[in-house]
Amino acid sequence: MFERFTKEARQVVTGAVGQAEGMGARRVDPEHLLLGLLEQEGSRASFALAALGLGERKESVRRAVREAHRRAGLSRAETDALAGLGIDVTDIVARVEAAHGVGAMAAGRAGAEPKSGHRPFGKGAKDILVCALRTAVTHRDRRIGDEHLLLALTLRPGIAAEILADHGVTYEALTRVLYGTGEAAAG
Amino acid sequence: MSGATELAARAGDRDPRVGLRAVAALRRLLEQLESVQVRNARNQGWSWQEIANELGVSRQAVHKKHGRH
Repeated sequence: MFERFTKEARQVVTGAVGQAEGMGARRVDPEHLLLGLLEQEGSRASFALAALGLGERKESVRRAVREAHRRAGLSRAETDALAGLGIDVTDIVARVEAAHGVGAMAAGRAGAEPKSGHRPFGKGAKDILVCALRTAVTHRDRRIGDEHLLLALTLRPGIAAEILADHGVTYEALTRVLYGTGEAAAG
Repeated sequence: MSGATELAARAGDRDPRVGLRAVAALRRLLEQLESVQVRNARNQGWSWQEIANELGVSRQAVHKKHGRH
């Protein structure tokens, strides 16, 4: 699959592994791909993000990712679903942090520590790669660039899509600046 | 509709999507909580067997899940 990735897309994938390591996560999640994308310069994705006004707000995105991780990596949709059962995630995180320190409930810490240097792609991150491939096909692009990874992140429900949407980066907005149209989602 | 009634209605929502999403979120929350508590017990010198007894699972299961490889 990776042979069809452009140099920029490979940089994002490698960068995501580095982000996961830096955050002490045991696997690569879609948020790590998002953080990897923020590091890009002079690429299709960085152009699209700048066109949507994200150039100056990268730190705000990074902060939002850190906050979501601190909340056990639960998205707002998941937090709302739990609130529907009468479970207040913010309250639980506050209680656990009071007893065990800030960041105790951070996502990606569950389970055994990984073998040194080995950070597998989690299901969510694999889904993003497959979705990026499908998005490239939809747009009749021969290669998978970092803009397809960005488009895929807006299509799959989760923390990354929510944070991007909060910053005005949606699939529709991206297709408009990248392709000059507002095409239907590739799914 | 009062707040309590509304909450009860949402908790018992008949839409499977709402219920399943809540269960999946609860499982993720549970995994994090288990991780925090097991780490704390290990830091306090608890054996894997003691932790397994409290969790109601086998020593092998808890070690495989939380032990360092």
